[in-house]
Amino acid sequence: MSKTVLKVENLNMHYETIAGNVSAVRDVSFELKEGESFGLVGESGCGKTSVAMSLLQLQADNAKISSGSIKLNDEELVTKTEKELRKIRWKGISIVFQGAMNAWNPVVKIGEQIREAIREHYPNNSKEENSEKIKKLFDIVGLEHSIMNRFPHELSGGMKQRAVIALALSCDPKVLIADEPTTALDVVIQDQILKEISKVQELLGLSLIYISHDIAVIAEMTSNMAVMYAGSIVEMGKTSEIFSNPRHAYTKLLLESTPSIVGEKKKLRSLDGEPPSLIGDIKGCTFSPRCPEPSDSCKNQSLEMGLIEAAPDHFVDQCCVECV
Amino acid sequence: MTKYIINRFLQLVLVFFVFLVSSYLLFNAMPGDAFTSLLLNPQLPPDAYEKTIALYGLDRPLSERVIKYVQNFFKGDFGFSYRYYPKSPIELIAERLPRTLMLFALVNIISFYTGFLVGKILAWRRGSKSETWLTLASVLSYTVFYPWFALLMLWFFGYKMGWFPIGKFLYPEKWYDAPFDSDVVFMMMIKFTVVVSIIQFIAYLFTRNIESLSLRRNARLLSLVLIFIGSYFYWNTGDALIKKPYAADISFHMILPTIVVTIVAFAGTALLTRTTMMEVLKEDYIQTARAKGLSQKRIRDRHAARTALLPVVTSFIFTIVTIIDGSVLTEQIFSWPGMGQLLLQAVLNEDIPVAMAAFSFVGIFALVAHFVADISYAYLDPRIRIKSQG
Ligand SMILES: Nc1ncnc2c1ncn2[C@@H]1O[C@H](COP(=O)(O)OP(=O)(O)O)[C@@H](O)[C@H]1O
Ligand code: SF4
Ligand SMILES: [Mg+2]
Repeated sequence: MSKTVLKVENLNMHYETIAGNVSAVRDVSFELKEGESFGLVGESGCGKTSVAMSLLQLQADNAKISSGSIKLNDEELVTKTEKELRKIRWKGISIVFQGAMNAWNPVVKIGEQIREAIREHYPNNSKEENSEKIKKLFDIVGLEHSIMNRFPHELSGGMKQRAVIALALSCDPKVLIADEPTTALDVVIQDQILKEISKVQELLGLSLIYISHDIAVIAEMTSNMAVMYAGSIVEMGKTSEIFSNPRHAYTKLLLESTPSIVGEKKKLRSLDGEPPSLIGDIKGCTFSPRCPEPSDSCKNQSLEMGLIEAAPDHFVDQCCVECV
Repeated sequence: MTKYIINRFLQLVLVFFVFLVSSYLLFNAMPGDAFTSLLLNPQLPPDAYEKTIALYGLDRPLSERVIKYVQNFFKGDFGFSYRYYPKSPIELIAERLPRTLMLFALVNIISFYTGFLVGKILAWRRGSKSETWLTLASVLSYTVFYPWFALLMLWFFGYKMGWFPIGKFLYPEKWYDAPFDSDVVFMMMIKFTVVVSIIQFIAYLFTRNIESLSLRRNARLLSLVLIFIGSYFYWNTGDALIKKPYAADISFHMILPTIVVTIVAFAGTALLTRTTMMEVLKEDYIQTARAKGLSQKRIRDRHAARTALLPVVTSFIFTIVTIIDGSVLTEQIFSWPGMGQLLLQAVLNEDIPVAMAAFSFVGIFALVAHFVADISYAYLDPRIRIKSQG
């Protein structure tokens, strides 16, 4: 068994707003092993980015982590000071942001923006060492070395995104988070970038958290995965196992609404309705208003939430196990 | 970039021609025959009349006169002052230009920098008590009526407290037996400032390539210390030592105008910087910078403020002309005998040759300032810099 790099336990995070507290992360627990790629899937607004930001402790000003723990190699991050966190960021956990197209400062050269990160975490490196490192990274992600001296607006979307990956790898992170890294790219480029991330992940043995709303991409990219709904994880396990044997009604529906997975023969089911508002507490199953086949016990909302191990290494929200 | 600069320069030349011609037409359109009326001044020698008619081609039609005027301008022939005959306008301007240049540059650099600094802090400390007070102060200073405020300050600090001189750019009694003119000292001060700026810029360029941040900071500190020591020796040896007390006198006279103008002028820059920087802080690359583990200061200065500077510089470029207007006013209030005062007095005295020459020079001044700001903008924004290459 390989080592656990990242361990998240019972993480709860909410945003304080005028309308009330938005509980974007509810009791989320998962583990990331060394060299593993872990997928986080769910509809937009279910709290994926909130989880990612909590891991980096970069959540918005109005966000509060009310309880839970995030351990990177047994080091607790939640209680760290800003100064200590600066050392963890990028070197411990780095991230490719959602909409990473705008990740570059328009008036600073690409190379300098990467160099700046390396300089922060390896202050004793010489200029040549850093240049060498950037060149190596560019080789890995398939960029010409000359891109170093370019400004962001001189690059195409795909090139920018490759450079973002190089940037994310520049300080040898223990964990890399990719938060919907291909949104805003056109389809062909999307595919290239996905392949690039897969390649890099294997090549460097990266521990990767891949976030997407597209379950097909998760199938391609990850070996383990979790399905998120309304701020909580409702199903978690090996990607292959979840795809062949989904247990939660939401997962099933996600799979059935994705054409590339199901094939053409089966009729596509659509996911109707909106995810619930995350303001305040939710009792019982969060998915019940949209569930196609709720049982009687689902409707009385007395079910307990929380993951249980339904099969070896396959965790499902207990309400959905008990109701069927 | 070179192409961009050449382009801008050609534009500058074109605009200057338009300016010259239209300023001539403007003076030409003044009520009464401004050119000839004052020549009837009994103090002027009789041949001045012929000289002026010949110089300006006053017996020729308007189109020829305009051409002649432009020609004369490039020959540097402005005739002579009606009032200070036989001094030429150029002589008068040469005496006053350095004074204006020195004060104008100092005041504007300081007020722009202060404004930018304050705006940066305002945006960064958003929602704090200090932000509220600073914003309030900025808005107050932005809306205050400048001449009134300047006179008030002059009265308070110059007259009531007696800390600063009430006007003029030197104490005449100190210069009574000075072995040289004030202009010499002015030129020397300007040269000194320019040389120091250049050295500092070079030091900046050289230290830019130092990879370790702490080493870079120390190198810059060292260069500052060296410049400081160098300046100390410069002012304490040879020629400069003799001029030092006079230079000090002039500097002392610049303090109050600088403070007053800064208080009034920083606010526009500060409020604009605050707004643009608050926008920039929402950008994704600020989040990237934070995720990279950079220090707050570096994120603020290197990423947020650097980009926020762009619109601020743009607006500065647009307001340069008003700044020059303002400096005419400043010179008047602080009895600073510079170009602005020269222009004003010449117009009031109907000393047309001097007025026209001074007017043209103020125009050149505005255009050059505009040009410099434009170029530095292009330097700051690579999107312009790169586009203009292709
Ligand atoms: N700064 C914030 N303040 C208030 N609510 C927020 C904030 N950021 C995100 N949210 C809300 O939190 C929920 C989860 O958002 P997010 O984590 O971005 O979801 P995802 O990445 O899965 O699309 C959404 O309902 C969103 O509206
Ligand atoms: S618990 Fe019941 S309502 Fe909720 S998803 Fe499962 S089957 Fe549907
Ligand atoms: Mg998201």
